[in-house]
Amino acid sequence: MTDQERLGPPPVEPLSDIAWARVERELWARVDDAVPVAPRTRTRSWIAITGSIVAAAAVVAIVLATRSGGDSLDDASPARVVSGAAPSSVSFGDAHVTLDPETAVVMSRDTDAPSALLERGAAWFTIAPRSGAPFVVVAGDTIVRVVGTRFRVARYLERATVEVEHGLVEVQFRGTKVVLGADQSWSSDHPSDAITTKLAQREPDPVVPARASEPPPEDPTPLRPAIVTPDSPPRKPKLAPPATPDPDLDRVTFERLQTLEVRDPGAALAGYLELSKRTGPWTEVALFAAARLAADRREPRAAALLNIYLTRFPRGKNADDARELLAHLKGEHR
Amino acid sequence: MTFRRVPPTREEVASLPATAREHDLDLARRAAAGDRGAQRELFHSQRAAVHHALFRILGSNRELEDLIQDAFMEIFRGLHSFRGDSTLGRWCQTIATRIAYLTISRRRPPTVELSLVEDRIADGADTRRLVQIREAARRLYAALDRIDAKQRIAFALAVIDGRPLAEVAQLTESSVVAVKTRVWRARKDLMKRASKDDVLSSYLAELQGGER
Repeated sequence: MTDQERLGPPPVEPLSDIAWARVERELWARVDDAVPVAPRTRTRSWIAITGSIVAAAAVVAIVLATRSGGDSLDDASPARVVSGAAPSSVSFGDAHVTLDPETAVVMSRDTDAPSALLERGAAWFTIAPRSGAPFVVVAGDTIVRVVGTRFRVARYLERATVEVEHGLVEVQFRGTKVVLGADQSWSSDHPSDAITTKLAQREPDPVVPARASEPPPEDPTPLRPAIVTPDSPPRKPKLAPPATPDPDLDRVTFERLQTLEVRDPGAALAGYLELSKRTGPWTEVALFAAARLAADRREPRAAALLNIYLTRFPRGKNADDARELLAHLKGEHR
Repeated sequence: MTFRRVPPTREEVASLPATAREHDLDLARRAAAGDRGAQRELFHSQRAAVHHALFRILGSNRELEDLIQDAFMEIFRGLHSFRGDSTLGRWCQTIATRIAYLTISRRRPPTVELSLVEDRIADGADTRRLVQIREAARRLYAALDRIDAKQRIAFALAVIDGRPLAEVAQLTESSVVAVKTRVWRARKDLMKRASKDDVLSSYLAELQGGER
């Protein structure tokens, strides 16, 4: 091999930006779940006890800081808020954020560039009308800019959805920009579409997504729900607290997700998962539906979802089916 | 902070401006205390170096997303023990090397077909050369899969990555003599395995020619 033909060491293949985003998101989730580790010294047991007390105090502090009731964050530095099993709310500056369960948000109160980074989960953002810089919410590759509105951003892995209750929101996603108005939603599955979702009018007809840039239809009230974001609370004329369990709404949501399965199984699966995070009679059904659909789509997470279902609902209505499906999946992998 | 292919030695660290070392110590202290901002800064400043070390030892990005997380979990857990004897970057790479060792020791990962890895061909790159190098790398890592984990790591860092033996010794938490011995044994084993593989044989000869 001559010098000219020298190959050199094999190149280090870079990870994609999406892979890095995944690594970072999962890393922080693991850090959140990890029990603080005390330094290894001879007084390890004492330190372990102290560590446990500190950890417990930290949990109490987080719970107190994120309880419903709109506590405010006075510190100007970025703050990270993590909700537990129940919804939580927090105010900072002129923004009020209501976090769904198991949601993490990092908020910066920089007056020049107020922003929130949605690490995982979903949250409603209520932003008072602003004259200065727009408020920005970042959820993965999705960037939402607002000047005064109430809207919701949900994120599951690389997928994001945005719902607007009132006001105007600009959604930017990998070079695509869409402007959403009141009662419209958007999904990263169809980044160039804005979908009208006035859930107050629960009509069963499926909705044809309308382009945001197209002129409005002739009918002034053609609003038909398209069920992309199934856990939307009922629309109210004024700013409302987070959605409370509503079996009727959940049933409607579930039925529409079933319809959506044919057209957009990915969105339906994400919707089932969102629905399964709520409390109520449809939680169990939605979780099993998500697992079943994931299995249909041969997604690796199907088995994990079935195991979660069986852990949460060992005697659920679909428990036998879940066990059978799980055994079937295991058999396939052998 | 960008990744340095050859991090400074312990002596160089001692002579670093106090501010750099103090910055490392301060960052480690804040991150160890659970300051998420500091943890993010640490992650973003060291992720390339950690990825580089893991990739060099394991030969592909397969499983690397999980291993990078494992490495940073260990880094965050161990930050309280960072005393500034080396740079924070090298300290992180030492932990990454330990993670790689544990991974190789616990199980034999199947050799990854590099052809399955997404190509990122820079503009103007010599495609023919790239294909050659990938094929040679595939054969090299297939052979490395079959040798002792410590020998593999020493060979990957010293010969493939071209790091000085002293640095490899530090990253692998062993002596220079031990590293030399491992590299020698790895080379001997690899040459034996390459006796019927001209591509691998010539690639090994080339890599060893560039060894420091």
